[in-house]
Amino acid sequence: MLTGSRQTSISTALATATCTLLGSAAPSVVIAEEEPKWDFNTSLLYYGEDKSRVRDLSLKAIVRRLFTDDRVFSFGLTLDSLTGATPSGAIRQDVAQTFTRPSGNAEYTVPAGSLPLDDTFLDTRLAITAAWQQPYGESSQFSVGFSGSKEYDYLHLGLNGSFAKDFNKRNTTLSTGISIARDEFDPVGGAPLPFTAMLAVGDTSNRGGSDDKDVLDIVAGVSQVISRNLVVQANYSYSSEKGYLNNPYKFLSVVDGISGDTIIGTAGTSHVLRFENRPDERTKHSLYTQAKYNRGGKVLDVSYRYMSDDWDIDSHTVELRYRVPFGQDKYYEPHLRWYTQNEAEFYSLSLLEGAALPLYASNDYRLGDFDALTAGLKFGWTTRNNSAMSIRVEWYRQVGSIPGEQIIGNQAERDNYPDLNALIVQLSYRFKK
Amino acid sequence: MKILLTAALFVFCSGCSSLGVEPWERDVLAREDMQLTSDAAEAATDDHIYFSKEASSGGRGFGGGGCGCN
Repeated sequence: MLTGSRQTSISTALATATCTLLGSAAPSVVIAEEEPKWDFNTSLLYYGEDKSRVRDLSLKAIVRRLFTDDRVFSFGLTLDSLTGATPSGAIRQDVAQTFTRPSGNAEYTVPAGSLPLDDTFLDTRLAITAAWQQPYGESSQFSVGFSGSKEYDYLHLGLNGSFAKDFNKRNTTLSTGISIARDEFDPVGGAPLPFTAMLAVGDTSNRGGSDDKDVLDIVAGVSQVISRNLVVQANYSYSSEKGYLNNPYKFLSVVDGISGDTIIGTAGTSHVLRFENRPDERTKHSLYTQAKYNRGGKVLDVSYRYMSDDWDIDSHTVELRYRVPFGQDKYYEPHLRWYTQNEAEFYSLSLLEGAALPLYASNDYRLGDFDALTAGLKFGWTTRNNSAMSIRVEWYRQVGSIPGEQIIGNQAERDNYPDLNALIVQLSYRFKK
Repeated sequence: MKILLTAALFVFCSGCSSLGVEPWERDVLAREDMQLTSDAAEAATDDHIYFSKEASSGGRGFGGGGCGCN
């Protein structure tokens, strides 16, 4: 049954069509507005962690050129400026510790009781993406794309393609995509050989050159319109990485099996340290589901992701956004994200002196057991020249723990997994012409 | 296995055929805020931040990355 307003709009449309067919004068002059051909989506991001850890100032632009027949060329550019310090993997001690810098040319000292951070983190990253998208037949479309990024010590080059087909009056869409990439790591001072000891300043005998990895991603999914106000999607993703998967700047403390204190070094660094070693292959499987629901102009966006990999990491991510319009062309959007993961099977707080080395070990906090929460608010509005602006402010907090069986002696009295707090502020400006 | 997959896809698509809307009922769905990814720049930013800080990535699309990400 038609509602009153829909009846009116259909009547108006029929009357206009009839007038046009009969060659009558239209009731009013209609000036065809030219569709915008360019779509510029730009943003400025500040990401800052507390305790002088990582800071990133990032400028991003995504430009889309719209052609006839729904063909689209898009180009993206991101420029990151990174500074700050990051945990090295060594553990706190009750005495000061000295470390050789990644370059091998100098050393730095961490005060007693402090978390060892590598404060030489300074980089500029330039990333570009380009993609061509067009219809294929009446109900399908495909896209092909390129991605590349360059940092001082890292180069990424990738190709991707995707295909989507609509069914059931475009209410169901099946899609699939593939992405291949080759990343090359050229660490400052050379990639250290796995599990070798950190050497004295000037001794680079355990350093190799650059190394690389190949990454394959495959995504297959379906999206389904359920009703006029509800659309859902589900994706399965497969990801395979092969090659150099170590972090060349991370290492582990070698500790006494009773006290848990790091063994005092006899040459070079103040304490005994060994560079980490990870497997050279990793396979991840993810299931991602999302629903978008409109209720009286307010839009609820809910998603859930489950990830499992062969490093024995399982993770769950739940994300929620609720966009509420108010006033004229304004909206606010609260955002909540909850994430949890367990540690990798080779995650290790430290290495035991005198014991045989494990096959793999890393004390990278990102491979540990932790929960994370993001809470934020976005405010958006439309400007007089019909551009869209928004600002979002978010707070990200990570709280981790070390498996009890890994804590030895005095380590129990120290904070081995410090919390991470970060502020995220993003200003976006989007316009079409 | 192939037959099973084809059958599953057929059953799934048959089930979906009773769902959805007519072309003239797409006014709400056509709105930008109802697109599955309504803010591409924000989505790309988030993917990169969480790729750098957590062991998981991707899901919505490809795994992201392309950085040393200390």
